[in-house]
Amino acid sequence: MAGEAETSRQSQEEEDAGLYERWVQESMQNPERVYNGLFYVVTLFFLVTMMFPFYWLLVLALTPNEQIANMGLLPRGFNVEAFVRIFELLPFGRFVFNSIFLALLTTAIVLLLASLAGYVFGRLEFPGRQPLMLLILAISYFPPAAFLLPLFDLFTGNVVIPLGPVAIQSPVLFNTPGAMILPFSSLFMPLSIFILTTFYAQIPDGLEDAARVEGTTRIGALFRVIMPLSAPGVATAGILTFIAVYNEFFFSFLMNDGQAQNWAPIVWGILGYQGQYTQFYNLMAAASIVGVLPVVILVVIAQERIVSGLTAGALKE
Amino acid sequence: MGDVKLEHVTKRYADVTAVDDMNLDIRDGEFVTLVGPSGCGKSTTLETIAGLTIPTEGTITIADREVTNLPPKDRGIAMVFQNIALFPHMDVYDNISFGLRLRDFDKEEIERRVERATEILQIQGMLDRMPEEMSGGQRQRVAIGRAIVREPEVFLMDEPLANLDAKLRVHMRTELQRLHKELDTTIIYVTHDQAEAMTMSDRIAVLNEGQLQQIAAPLTCYNEPANRFVAGFIGSPSMNFLEGELTADGITTDDFAVEFDVAALDGYGPGDDVTLGVRPEDVHLEENADELAHPTTPFPAQNDVIEPMGDEIFVYLIVHDLEGGGQEGAVTERDPDEQVLMSVDPDADVEMDARVQIVFDRSRLHLFDTRTGDAITHGLVQPASGVDQRAQGAESEGDD
Repeated sequence: MAGEAETSRQSQEEEDAGLYERWVQESMQNPERVYNGLFYVVTLFFLVTMMFPFYWLLVLALTPNEQIANMGLLPRGFNVEAFVRIFELLPFGRFVFNSIFLALLTTAIVLLLASLAGYVFGRLEFPGRQPLMLLILAISYFPPAAFLLPLFDLFTGNVVIPLGPVAIQSPVLFNTPGAMILPFSSLFMPLSIFILTTFYAQIPDGLEDAARVEGTTRIGALFRVIMPLSAPGVATAGILTFIAVYNEFFFSFLMNDGQAQNWAPIVWGILGYQGQYTQFYNLMAAASIVGVLPVVILVVIAQERIVSGLTAGALKE
Repeated sequence: MGDVKLEHVTKRYADVTAVDDMNLDIRDGEFVTLVGPSGCGKSTTLETIAGLTIPTEGTITIADREVTNLPPKDRGIAMVFQNIALFPHMDVYDNISFGLRLRDFDKEEIERRVERATEILQIQGMLDRMPEEMSGGQRQRVAIGRAIVREPEVFLMDEPLANLDAKLRVHMRTELQRLHKELDTTIIYVTHDQAEAMTMSDRIAVLNEGQLQQIAAPLTCYNEPANRFVAGFIGSPSMNFLEGELTADGITTDDFAVEFDVAALDGYGPGDDVTLGVRPEDVHLEENADELAHPTTPFPAQNDVIEPMGDEIFVYLIVHDLEGGGQEGAVTERDPDEQVLMSVDPDADVEMDARVQIVFDRSRLHLFDTRTGDAITHGLVQPASGVDQRAQGAESEGDD
């Protein structure tokens, strides 16, 4: 009898072990299942970590400011008015416009100059090409703080260059787009040069030769043939530059006095909702959401649009 | 006036001289082919004419205008490329009209010219297609169309048929000739394929190692090659070369002798090392020698490999050291390339390993200086005294 009980317990244990073992067995025979499971786990993790800040912004924006202390994870109330108030309290639209304007202008300058540089680095052989390319890449890793002071002096007209009898005072660019676009362009150019060099190098020489024989100059061939054919690369460089400028904090914050009419970008707009005695956290959250929207639209919709659009445009010419 | 003149054109790169002192004088309306093995400088030469490469030295004149340092667009040329080089992002119409639009032609003129080009090239109805939707032959026609509409002084073609399959290549060859007849414009054509060069050109310029070897009509290059390189390059299969030495009354190789009037040679005499060149179709079996006006003395050979081609049979002959049947080792003394290739009628009775007697067509033999490779004479003159050829033959056999 005791023996019987023992065997039944044993078989029970075997069954328990069997469940786990069977699962292991199955997983080993069919690893696809485990990979699938892991894929969802990892995806969920990234989704949550990336989307939670946006959710949190929304929660804050919808909660009336007086109830915002000791917030939980759910909004307290549904105060959509914040999205209107941000435009009433400050010319927030102008801040957004400034940011987009600066980003677009910088992108245009960067694409133009980086195209020329990309052509040279990607398609011409010359001594010192490799070191020069490395130097340019190194520039992109310079800390912006390192040249803030000299640039600030330069852009506020405090640098005087003696030229024989006359002395030239540096132009006052502070509070103008120039004070931001110049450092933006130089900081974000290297990445674009790198991307475009890679793309332009892949266009067959024959096409450029054909364009030149047909009647373009080298630069004409670059803009009529090489650039359209590198549309995905140009779009990538453009979008990355646009986003980088749009997100930039350092020079955006320091190269103007924070007034919308003085080309201050979104960062000043958002910070404008904190006064000496009141902090409108809900408005700052709402403004952040509005500020993010252009980039979200650009990335979600326009990225594909721009790539296919550029290619289609090139196809029709 | 589409004449092109190259004077002392040299292109040096860091470690190689791609083109070495090239002089060419191409007349208006002429179809000239630059031909040579890869790396001979033919493409570089064409690029200097196109302006895609600036020569290190020398001058280039197109239509009586010096263009050496002008950019390609200002030279009055159009070019067709080996890789076809249609702009993949433009449809056929835009590809063909690209150059005209750059030059601000008005719309009607552009349309008129494009229409004419599509008619000539038979690509009507394809104007809105993209290059990737077309076959290789169609693409090449579009590329030629792009060149035609410009109505240039000179067409440059850099192996335009190289990327097409064999059948299409032969077809396009005839089309290009027709096109040349129709347009009557100078065409400078680059190819490594001597058959293309032979069939299409008014004149062939044979290049090797950056140097011009010979420029002459195709048949002149074939029948009177300026040197051993041209002789070997033009004609397929290639000419046989047999090294020997001049004697008082002919040339002697290790295996046979051909007697001729050595005194008629200018600057060469007994003791000089010479190379005898003979094309496969000028090697005959002895039994067919009666058809020849001037056969040489027969000598023995052995069939090695036989290649029936359908319209003819190629027979690789061993001529050296036949006597030593079992002592094959002795053969290695000589270059194994020194087989003789013979082309015979398809109905000829040839058997593997059979012993045969062969003769050359004396009037179609070539003599080259072994050292310099320069041609000495084409067609060997019968010796003045009518020696009994049979006896002489036996004697030369005995010499072995």
